[in-house]
Amino acid sequence: MASLSHFTTACWKNLQGDRMNKQLFFILRALHKSAASEASGISAAGEEAMPDRLITPVADVGEKTRIMTLKEMPGPSTLSNLVEFIWRDGFSRIHEIQMEHRKKFGKIFKSRFGPQLVVSVADRDLVAEVLRAEGVAPQRANMESWKEYRDMIGSSTGLISAEGEDWLKMRSVLRQLIMRPRDVAVFSDDVNKVVDDLIKRVCILRTQEPDGATVHNVNDLFFKYAMEGVAAILYESRLGCLENEIPQETQDYITALHLMFSSFKTTMYAGAIPKWLRPVIPKPWEEFCLSWDGLFKFSRLHVDKRLAEIEAQLERGEDVKGGLLTHLLINKEMTMEEIYANLTEMLLAGVDTTSFTLSWASYLLARHPRVQQQIFMEVKRTLGPGAVATADDVPRLPLIRGLVKETLRLFPVLPGNGRITQDDLVVGGYFIPKGTQLALCHYSTSFEEENFADASDFRPDRWIRKDSTDRVDNFGSIPFGYGIRSCIGKRVAELEMHLALTRLIQKFQICMCPRTADVKAKTHGLLCPAAPIHLQFIDREI
Amino acid sequence: MAFVTALRRLAHVRLREYSWRTAAVTSGAWLTSQRSFTSSSPSLRSDNKVTINFVNRDGEKITVKGSPGDSLLDIVINEDLDFDGFGACEGTLACSTCHLIFDEDTYKSLGPVTDEEMDMLDLAYGLTDTSRLGCQICLTKSLEGVVARVPESVADIRQSKDESS
Ligand code: FES
Repeated sequence: MASLSHFTTACWKNLQGDRMNKQLFFILRALHKSAASEASGISAAGEEAMPDRLITPVADVGEKTRIMTLKEMPGPSTLSNLVEFIWRDGFSRIHEIQMEHRKKFGKIFKSRFGPQLVVSVADRDLVAEVLRAEGVAPQRANMESWKEYRDMIGSSTGLISAEGEDWLKMRSVLRQLIMRPRDVAVFSDDVNKVVDDLIKRVCILRTQEPDGATVHNVNDLFFKYAMEGVAAILYESRLGCLENEIPQETQDYITALHLMFSSFKTTMYAGAIPKWLRPVIPKPWEEFCLSWDGLFKFSRLHVDKRLAEIEAQLERGEDVKGGLLTHLLINKEMTMEEIYANLTEMLLAGVDTTSFTLSWASYLLARHPRVQQQIFMEVKRTLGPGAVATADDVPRLPLIRGLVKETLRLFPVLPGNGRITQDDLVVGGYFIPKGTQLALCHYSTSFEEENFADASDFRPDRWIRKDSTDRVDNFGSIPFGYGIRSCIGKRVAELEMHLALTRLIQKFQICMCPRTADVKAKTHGLLCPAAPIHLQFIDREI
Repeated sequence: MAFVTALRRLAHVRLREYSWRTAAVTSGAWLTSQRSFTSSSPSLRSDNKVTINFVNRDGEKITVKGSPGDSLLDIVINEDLDFDGFGACEGTLACSTCHLIFDEDTYKSLGPVTDEEMDMLDLAYGLTDTSRLGCQICLTKSLEGVVARVPESVADIRQSKDESS
């Protein structure tokens, strides 16, 4: 999401703070020499000779196994890349290009976008090696434009846009609040209230269709669910997204978010276009700022509202009780600006990511009625009729967990993640100098037969363990990333998805609508449905 | 509380000069809250400490004591044990660097493994059938004298692989 350009966009959505699709980023970046060079400091020299401080063990290594330089690494030519991305709209097919390049060039390959070099790592074990070698504050990509906007308005960076010590400090505070499964489980009731509204909304929407069953473009519905769910946890308040009349301030936020997303391509350039060119091509930067203005405004509004409530309670001598935001406001581990920025970035990262995954999951269920029936039977058997699941029930619903994992394997919201190497590394036999932009190709590893038998099949039960020593390998599908900079919203997102899907499956048989054919994925910062998904929700007999 | 100490240690050991302004606030922070987000189970104030034997990557045995309720990660941090890279995510189940290996009997006595821990164990380096994540194991009296082996780290591997290749 960030800076780098707006590739950022990608990021934003990911609270993950941590993962992003750098690839795009890079690419964009690369289009602009000046931007690129100020960018990550990845120098073209990186590709030149290996420095002599090279990793020591190499000394004894014979000629055959010598460590190779980046120069020797295979990859598409700069020109063919340009053609692919500029003329053939490669940006929306990044996930497919990843697969093609994997086939053609192997487990590790380099691409050059102008001066920007990106090394793609498209192999489960190599991805594991890279992530396991991480230090205390891994960097995803260059987030300069995000930072520039925040400096301009006098705000702080948040988990997505911050680096180094700033990042570590905030991450350490926030992970203690929303990363442990048991800390997140306490949000079950809040999330379930939002699920209640989701179910009501489904019922209202389908009555508006002639067949009384279809919900048009389910992503629109799941977008509102995800936003309402994240806000219930982050802001401790309800936004009204799932109501008939959406409150104006919430509507304004949605507009800002849509602007960020829809103008992805243009805004991408906001970061890539050198500053001196802005007077000539002002639009991308203006739109970028405009969407951020909207996003920050919303978060200030909600944070300030909660702060005022707390102050009033304190004045009246009452005990202050609350959740995440209350904790942050009372304990002052972060400054107000840091709180605004992090809540802004977390909300941003938690909406589209969750909604796309829910859309794909429902689509896959509709496409595979037998699998859906199998999951329904599990839910029915485990919960009994009418019972509402909480986080405590999820361990007894392995197919629900499998459904989410399998959906994210087939449609990883971030088809690739980025890392800028913090040390010299040897990966796959190549010397990778410090400061190199890596793209970890999660999409292609998710489809490797070696990692997942019948990889293109939708099989939630492949994730089920026979017992606790049964290992369901692997680094092949790590949609939330791994390690210290993995998605901080992972457990929250899982909770929202597990509870929503369980209830939807309990209540409805989800079917394909005749108007929806095969829906493909496209990359738009995130991996999203290339066409609207319309589905039927038919009441189950109870 | 163990966790605070843990944070301080982390700050100290792993981050060096990094100033850790926030550590002190962490525990007890949730006391005002409705929900309990407390990061580690409260250590029972007690004299009945439990002895744990860690075997480090060089095969050396290190014997330390911990309080019931502390996690094995808490103990590594409290005792300032230098296992490089151990516990990177501070016990939030995001990393699997707190991987420990037990003998079979001990493993069985450690209690059930949650799904989330299993998922993270899948990503642990040098996984065995008796592996667990140290941040998920809380000390009890019955673990007196337990032996926990710290597996070879990735860095070791890389080096030996490079040398042998
Ligand atoms: S410390 Fe990261 S999972 Fe235990």
